[in-house]
Amino acid sequence: MSELELSAHSGHAGLMEESPYGIPSGKLAMWCFVLSDAVTFGAVLFAYGYLRIGSPDWSTPFSFTPSILNGLVMTFVLLTSGLTMLAAVEAAKAGRTAAGTRWLWATCALGALFAALHLLEWRRMFEEGWRLFQNPTGGSVEFGAAFFSITGLHLLHVIGGVVALATIAIGFARQKYNRIDVEVLGIYWHFVDLVWMFVFPLVYLMNAK
Amino acid sequence: MTVEDSPHVPGMKFFVAVWIGLMCIVGVEVIVTFQHPSPRVLLASLLFLAFVEAAVAVFYFMHLKFERAALAWSALPLFVFVMFMMDQIWPDAFRLLSMRLLSQ
Repeated sequence: MSELELSAHSGHAGLMEESPYGIPSGKLAMWCFVLSDAVTFGAVLFAYGYLRIGSPDWSTPFSFTPSILNGLVMTFVLLTSGLTMLAAVEAAKAGRTAAGTRWLWATCALGALFAALHLLEWRRMFEEGWRLFQNPTGGSVEFGAAFFSITGLHLLHVIGGVVALATIAIGFARQKYNRIDVEVLGIYWHFVDLVWMFVFPLVYLMNAK
Repeated sequence: MTVEDSPHVPGMKFFVAVWIGLMCIVGVEVIVTFQHPSPRVLLASLLFLAFVEAAVAVFYFMHLKFERAALAWSALPLFVFVMFMMDQIWPDAFRLLSMRLLSQ
């Protein structure tokens, strides 16, 4: 079944205006969402940049172990989940429903592992005395606000993605969702990957001891 | 103009190579960080590497390279414009001129 047939569920394909980008409307909508969400993350990271540059007593609390090492493992897990998502898309395109579903569940598991590692990192920081507006090292209290806001916003996206992955995996196995739905979710999941490519260096590495 | 499959999408071997490349860039970021350069140099290096990673992710993982060029030409210049306006033209951006880096 072509993408045109898949996207024209109503049966009025002949009456519909053709796509200027040659992609289904769902995919275009996801690209629009991703762009607007990228601006949101951009704004948050710019705000963090202003705070960091403007604070003479900014803390740099992250040593290689455990924080940076944990961040490296999280990066490995998230990038690998991008690869399994690509495998899911390829399998879905090839009409291999069982393989596509397995790869979607693998991506979902890696996403959940990333979230778990993130929450463990947060717990360790809470135990050290870090809060949204509390800095146990005596430096700028804005560090906690910036760190937990940025990583929390990203974590929220990961958790949302894990829920969406589970939903699409179940629906794809039952043929309720098709390969375009898997592709659209893939764009979102790679975007979550992409945001982490900025969060890890700017929020973790820039604050390494 | 019809809605078509993205042509010439490479196989998984290619994407595994891209994934290895991305992991290498992350490794370089960590190595650079623990050389303890000045904040300015570190920020410039990390931003450069992050933009390279992001470009690879957008064009290959998100398949933008394999879509019609019109999509990239519609999305990316607009995004860059908005980010530039937000960072450089937004009134708060001028405060940056009177701020200072930790090392100064």
